[in-house]
Amino acid sequence: MSINTSNSTEDFIAKANYKIIGFGNIYMSDDGIGIRIIEELRKANFSDIFDNVAIIDGGTSGIDLICTLQESDKVIIVDALDAGQNIGEIVKFKLNEVSEFSGRKIKSFSLHDLDLGEVFNLMKSLNIRPDITIIGIKPKLVDYGEKLSPEIEKKIPEILSRIKQEIIK
Amino acid sequence: MAKNLNIEVSPLSRVEGHGDLVIDVKNKKVEKLMLRIPESPRFFEAMLVGRNWTEPSHITSRICGICSVAHTYASIKATEAALGIKVNEQILKLRKLIFHHECVQSNTLHVYFLAAPDFFGAGSVVSLIETHPEVVNIALRLKKMANDMVRIIGGRAIHPISTVVGGFTKLPTEEEMYQMKDMLKAAYADLETSLKVLKTLKLPQFERETEYLSITDKKDYALYDGDIKSSDGWIIDGKDYLSKIKEKVVEHSTGKHCWASRDAFMVGALSRFNNNFDKLSDNAKTYAEELGLKAPCYNTFMINIAQFVEIIHCIDDSIKLIDELMVSGLDENKAIVSVKPKAGRGVGVVEAPRGLLIHDYTYDADGKIEKANLIIPTNMNYINVEKDMAAYLPLIIDKSEDEIRLAMEMLIRAYDPCISCSTHFLNVKLVNN
Repeated sequence: MSINTSNSTEDFIAKANYKIIGFGNIYMSDDGIGIRIIEELRKANFSDIFDNVAIIDGGTSGIDLICTLQESDKVIIVDALDAGQNIGEIVKFKLNEVSEFSGRKIKSFSLHDLDLGEVFNLMKSLNIRPDITIIGIKPKLVDYGEKLSPEIEKKIPEILSRIKQEIIK
Repeated sequence: MAKNLNIEVSPLSRVEGHGDLVIDVKNKKVEKLMLRIPESPRFFEAMLVGRNWTEPSHITSRICGICSVAHTYASIKATEAALGIKVNEQILKLRKLIFHHECVQSNTLHVYFLAAPDFFGAGSVVSLIETHPEVVNIALRLKKMANDMVRIIGGRAIHPISTVVGGFTKLPTEEEMYQMKDMLKAAYADLETSLKVLKTLKLPQFERETEYLSITDKKDYALYDGDIKSSDGWIIDGKDYLSKIKEKVVEHSTGKHCWASRDAFMVGALSRFNNNFDKLSDNAKTYAEELGLKAPCYNTFMINIAQFVEIIHCIDDSIKLIDELMVSGLDENKAIVSVKPKAGRGVGVVEAPRGLLIHDYTYDADGKIEKANLIIPTNMNYINVEKDMAAYLPLIIDKSEDEIRLAMEMLIRAYDPCISCSTHFLNVKLVNN
């Protein structure tokens, strides 16, 4: 097995203008959509096609998200979430638009120590305000399982397309 | 105070994952008290069957976002034991180093973000920013330092990728080793400030002696490796855990409940402190003394203080480990040892931040898992949490409902339960009749 002693990936993540962070647990069925998107972006060598874009697997740790966001300018977060839309429907919004959505009960399904709502409240209070775009899809099933529901799986191309649109905007 | 309690708390916030707690009080008497776990960790055990030896550590690291390093190493150690792999001193020291910083990450999260709001009377960490901004900023700095440590050694801050069965696929550079040492040294000022703040806390005085289980080592304050020790006077090799630790699925919960010498035991920071106090760094011992933590300690609420003391120890010991590793420098030829699959059983025992974590795998001759058993710390603590609550509730039964609700939440949170290892959705109900 070859040994790589370079830290270029980490340097790249630190310097990248755009960070795409997938959030969720791949072993909780549709909760894994954020991580699946990260895998697809890596497979497509997305970072090579778009300069200054870092692809980050955020796992399920909300508090670690704050540490990442502290060092970011522009961020796209992909997660399973319920903003009152239908199952499989994709929503996209800026974090600073969240107050408009609060009446629609945005709820993250991820198993986070602090859920996304708490993370964003904490960020606002700490005055950590990168430009955050959230792309979320309403899951069908959040329970132990390795596979996405077909309704969610088939939306992967659309989510990828929305991410590209956001970056080339 | 009414004779009956009619309190409903839903959900119990700031506990990772989800579960149900039911308390039934009639005429000031606790009629029923139980923690219900609606889901089971069996999913992961079943999913591991048939997997190649290279896969389990990556799969199990996803069981929990907070304990991913602990699951990674319990898994790697189980596989290495089964396949008869011995790693060298350099690999062991790097593993201990990264392991320390999951402990710092998790203990920081619990002490500063999840428990501190209770003790400062703030409803949440967001409210804590208003009343104690310095506490939140210290927590973020410590968290970032620990994340950077895990990222430098493990390749990623969460779910590290470069630490595998047999060793490491990537080593830190010399520059990174010194960078880590500087980061560690810079943390002391924040720890000193934290000490002053923590000294002002008034923790509830509640003592209930129980059996304390942790791993133990002749040299180290055991986190990465050691035999299993009980405060009831026995020490066993980790692979013999079934001779002492019993587990069963109980009717009201699909999570497994565990017991050892008695009907309940505690795992986690307080058990480690009680069993291994003498192996802490001198600095950590001083902090413990300043905060009134003495072994043996039977106050469950002091788990929070034990976690803080462990942060000090992990930082002290990390500097020592870096110094030892840099005497001869890191050798790329010793980064990883070769692995050949073979049939066998292996048990990996580590201390996750929340306590003892056991992975037990049986492999076939092709290096595929035939059987897997995982015992997570939160499951081990369940009976003890119930017994603590049963003992604590009568002491505070004359308080207001709000005070009782908060006190019960604080008691559960002291255990730093990570129910997401085994389940999701937490609703707490205090039902009176």
